[in-house]
Amino acid sequence: MSKFHYRKTPEGVHPALNSPDYRSTALRHPKQPLIAVPQSATELSAPKFDQTIYYPHHDDLTKQSEGEPLGERIIVTGRVLDENGDPVPGTLLELWQCNSAGRYHHDADNHDAPLDPNFKGGGRVLTNDKGEYQFITIKPGAYPWRNHENAWRPAHLHFSVFGESMLQRLITQMYFPGDPLLGYDPIFHTVPTDKARERLISKFDLSVTKPEWALGYRFDIVLRGSEATPAN
Amino acid sequence: MTASTLTSTPGLSGSQTIGPFFRYGLQWEGGENAFPKDAPGEHIDITGRLIDGTGAAINDAMIEFWQADAAGKFGGPVKGSASGWARCYTSGDGRYNLHTVKPGVVAGADGKPQAPHILVCLFSRGMLKQVYSRIYFADSDANAPDAVLKAAGGRASTLIARAAGKGKYEWDIVLQGERETVFLDF
Repeated sequence: MSKFHYRKTPEGVHPALNSPDYRSTALRHPKQPLIAVPQSATELSAPKFDQTIYYPHHDDLTKQSEGEPLGERIIVTGRVLDENGDPVPGTLLELWQCNSAGRYHHDADNHDAPLDPNFKGGGRVLTNDKGEYQFITIKPGAYPWRNHENAWRPAHLHFSVFGESMLQRLITQMYFPGDPLLGYDPIFHTVPTDKARERLISKFDLSVTKPEWALGYRFDIVLRGSEATPAN
Repeated sequence: MTASTLTSTPGLSGSQTIGPFFRYGLQWEGGENAFPKDAPGEHIDITGRLIDGTGAAINDAMIEFWQADAAGKFGGPVKGSASGWARCYTSGDGRYNLHTVKPGVVAGADGKPQAPHILVCLFSRGMLKQVYSRIYFADSDANAPDAVLKAAGGRASTLIARAAGKGKYEWDIVLQGERETVFLDF
């Protein structure tokens, strides 16, 4: 007899909540230790969504307005897997990002860069039965932030993924290969190991690239995996 | 070499902060309603504030809630949505407003019934990964034997929503300080 549960998250993958180089963590990390409790049916389940949540051009951020957005069109594709290598089908991915000039469609973003009336920067898609997804969008720009003197975020896409249980829930960021800002970004470097940081950098893929149309990038997302252990 | 050493398992993707500018991409119409208006059970409102280490309101967070329905079942079919799940954004004074149904009884990992509760999953700028907590109800007589409340020990009261009138509850999330909310590691 065995019981389904998720294995503990290994060290070296997730950032510490208290990461002083990212200054905003100072007042926003719990100071008491988290309290370890067993995984119950509440945590081992998650909401399921179907295609009724789609809006027009939900997976093509270049077609959500009257005109075409400015910037470099890209294709971003990949798989959602778990640590066992099994695909996670039918799960919801949400994407958000700034425009090609480095400005978000958000009232509080006052970076001195133009808004693009044809780019809002949000999308959602459900993975197919092999765990695959694809978005078409615009390559986001870098932008400054006030964490420290001359601080710039490298270009990134934000991804939100549900998985099959609330314990697989993940929000992360996808970066671009060869970006010189990666070496200076405290948020990227809160991921503690080279290996784990590399996994957040997409790979340019010529086979995803469409001739005379758009560069293609591949980005897989790996969620917590289960293990079956003998019951006591 | 055995088969298992040949098989490489993919490494986990690391978490990154939700940042401050997620509202457009993560918009969810009616997200503060965990169930449709005609769902069976006792309909309740839960509200509270999210507070940082100086006592200041956090006005750029997203809080998700996940719970069983009144019968103790998860994820009943609701077209275009998911029953039992809600997504709220905190407002200028750090407040969220959740409309839901009193959850039914769900078995714990040990097979014993747990007290009615709602799972909370909090994301915010300045938080590099989500933190989990739970909401319990002050007027429930099932709290005493609950395994999670027992594990929380002397801080268990931070997991319990106050009754604030008929069908109304209040539950604050305090990230640091004397009344720091208990956060859970599963």
